[in-house]
Amino acid sequence: MGAVLLRGTAFALVWWVLAEGRADSWGVGVVSVAAALAASLYLAPPGAGRLSPTGLLGFAGFFLAQSFKGGVQVAVRAFRPAMDLAPALVDVPVALPDGLPRVLLVNTLNLLPGTVSVRLAGDRLRLHVLDARLPIAEEVRQAEARIACLWRTGP
Amino acid sequence: MTTLPDWISAGLLLAGAGFYLAGTLGLLRFPDVYARLHALTKADNLGLGLLVLGLALQAENLAAALKILLVWPLVLAASAAVSFAIARRAHELGIEPAGQEGKRP
Repeated sequence: MGAVLLRGTAFALVWWVLAEGRADSWGVGVVSVAAALAASLYLAPPGAGRLSPTGLLGFAGFFLAQSFKGGVQVAVRAFRPAMDLAPALVDVPVALPDGLPRVLLVNTLNLLPGTVSVRLAGDRLRLHVLDARLPIAEEVRQAEARIACLWRTGP
Repeated sequence: MTTLPDWISAGLLLAGAGFYLAGTLGLLRFPDVYARLHALTKADNLGLGLLVLGLALQAENLAAALKILLVWPLVLAASAAVSFAIARRAHELGIEPAGQEGKRP
């Protein structure tokens, strides 16, 4: 019940944002929020692990800082006359559980400095790195730790 | 009259445009499909982030500002997923990264 209330509130908030706060659109809004809620309950049934608010904040902060770093890193190389790249394919082990956490890792690494996910096979993730001299394994571990903190462990 | 938020907004928009320029430059200059994905996913995403921040500062009310900010995570999600799809397909087709020919792990 808590999950329904929480998600319903979140979707209602998104609708309020989409409608830019106008009150006359709530007729469509109520239907849309209900449909979104139904889809979300079907696609991600509650109870499979709850999101942790502190974990979410920690991840958001990490993600913003790393996005900035990644953008600057690529921009500097793109503008430099000698681009100074050392591209390589690197395999790293993945410790996160299957499903959503791994999907999130693959996509997060695509946006973080220096890495593009190429293939996920079993417990090994193949990355393309722009500069193999950077500490890639360390950054992947950091991202993994942040993602692991997103969910409260246990039922 | 130009107020402080206007100046900050202008600064963010200009910085965002700068990163878009870098992303495009990278797309043209980087050696292969993988490296070009780096340019698009990293530089353009940061550029877009700065653009939406700058535009949100000019929004008429809170809901409109949040709506503009909402664009960023949505585009990021699409950009990350598309980048993975392109990189995976390129890898399946046997395209080697520049400077790594014959060194596939």
